[in-house]
Amino acid sequence: MAISPLYALRETGQNLWRNLLLSLATIITIGVSLWLFGGFFLFNYAVDNATARWEGGIEFVVWMDPEASPEQDGAILEAISTSPDIRDYTYVDQDQAYEEFKEIFADTPELVEVVSPDVMPPSYRVVPVDPDADVVEELASQFEGRPGVKTVVSANDTIRAIQKQADEISIVFFIGSIILLAAATLLILTNIVSAIRNRGREIEIMKVVGATNWFIRIPFMLEGIVQAVIGAVLAWGGLYVIDRKVISGLSDPDSLELMAGFEVSDSEFLSTSILVLGIAIAVSVIGSSVAVTRYLDN
Amino acid sequence: MIKLENVTKVYKGDNVALRDATVDIGKGEFVFLVGASGSGKSTFIRLLNREEVPEHGTIYVAGKDIGALGSWKVPYLRRNIGYIFQDFKLLETKSVSENVAFALEVIGKPRHVVRKQVPAILELVGLSEKINSLPSELSGGEQQRVSIARAFVNRPLILLADEPTGNLDPQTSVGIMRLLDRINRTGTTVVMATHDRGIVDTMRRRVIELDRGVIVRDQARGVYE
Repeated sequence: MAISPLYALRETGQNLWRNLLLSLATIITIGVSLWLFGGFFLFNYAVDNATARWEGGIEFVVWMDPEASPEQDGAILEAISTSPDIRDYTYVDQDQAYEEFKEIFADTPELVEVVSPDVMPPSYRVVPVDPDADVVEELASQFEGRPGVKTVVSANDTIRAIQKQADEISIVFFIGSIILLAAATLLILTNIVSAIRNRGREIEIMKVVGATNWFIRIPFMLEGIVQAVIGAVLAWGGLYVIDRKVISGLSDPDSLELMAGFEVSDSEFLSTSILVLGIAIAVSVIGSSVAVTRYLDN
Repeated sequence: MIKLENVTKVYKGDNVALRDATVDIGKGEFVFLVGASGSGKSTFIRLLNREEVPEHGTIYVAGKDIGALGSWKVPYLRRNIGYIFQDFKLLETKSVSENVAFALEVIGKPRHVVRKQVPAILELVGLSEKINSLPSELSGGEQQRVSIARAFVNRPLILLADEPTGNLDPQTSVGIMRLLDRINRTGTTVVMATHDRGIVDTMRRRVIELDRGVIVRDQARGVYE
């Protein structure tokens, strides 16, 4: 016989109410841990978006004029490919540049609409042998002002420092969130074990009169899931603040020009929110399953 | 209805609670289990409900080998077996009718069935006037009547009672035994563990005596000793 949803909800609500303080502690811990966990992802997305063109050791980019002649283009290619100071390079043609543009501005389709591949500048993404900032500056300057070259942009020490700092901050966020998630799992387990002990006589009677194991288990498991979902909702609120206040604030050109592009797209925010909810449910299912298996089924 | 074939139950430390017990209890019988404390009466009852599993032997309840039941089927076995405790085990925060209804709700009985069966069983046990009382507002005898109502509300085939009068005075015990006798007359098999000599001698029903886990006497219309 199936469990009545009304019965399950009533029992779950009563369990949560009876252990109110422990329930609140659990919900807050889940919320904070998921907030840190989600913050780790948002921060990584923002750093990746801000430094996308500097990934893979690329130290400077030679932007070509879209109107450059094949001869001018050939001369630059030859200079890059034969230079002993350049270890590697990638040529990004107009179509690829257009695809990249569409990706970066996915959230502003009106901007994408007014741009076409033929106005996009092709570019050489260059990886020098020596990444030292002075060497890179000197090498990049050799291409500055040459026929067919629109501009040369190099990654400077500040961007490298941002990448390094961002990596370190991310690791701290990640480790902190994992520790808190483990604590949240243990709190869910403790909470349910406490509820099981508080209801020892009821459970004994239920077993004696023939209630099925699932009938007895479901309210306890739901309790863990409800706590986790409320925690995830709290975390969403915190992530919204990170996204709209902290990350957007940093990317505001008026405050820090270097952080331009340091932002999270709506789809990245949504996928992070879904991941946070998924982790919450996984944590609650693990915690409550261990509790009911160890303390209820014997 | 109940059949034990060479059943042995051993607890930790080689403590033999029941040794090579063979018993056949027919439908509608009323059986007293007697013996000193630790003689194996409670183990006998717990084995019938599959709260315990024997090390050796086979137990049949309503024709089924309950040792062969999958654990997920045990709740369905228990729906055919009512259980009465010495200490009543009522839920203190629930009223009389809620305590009885609880036994039906947790096995998924529809609300209209609960609404119909609970008042009927409370009338049978003589507690129609106390349906809204809490257990703490009842006498010991009344609490045991609630416990009996809860055990019988699903109309089980078998009623197991572990010292149901153990916490009651003699006069109240008589009332409880009259109730169990009345239930037995509806065709329900009753197996009752007891220390109460007066009750056994008065009722003159089948008596199974246990001594250190061994059945030493199985007597129709028996007395305590």
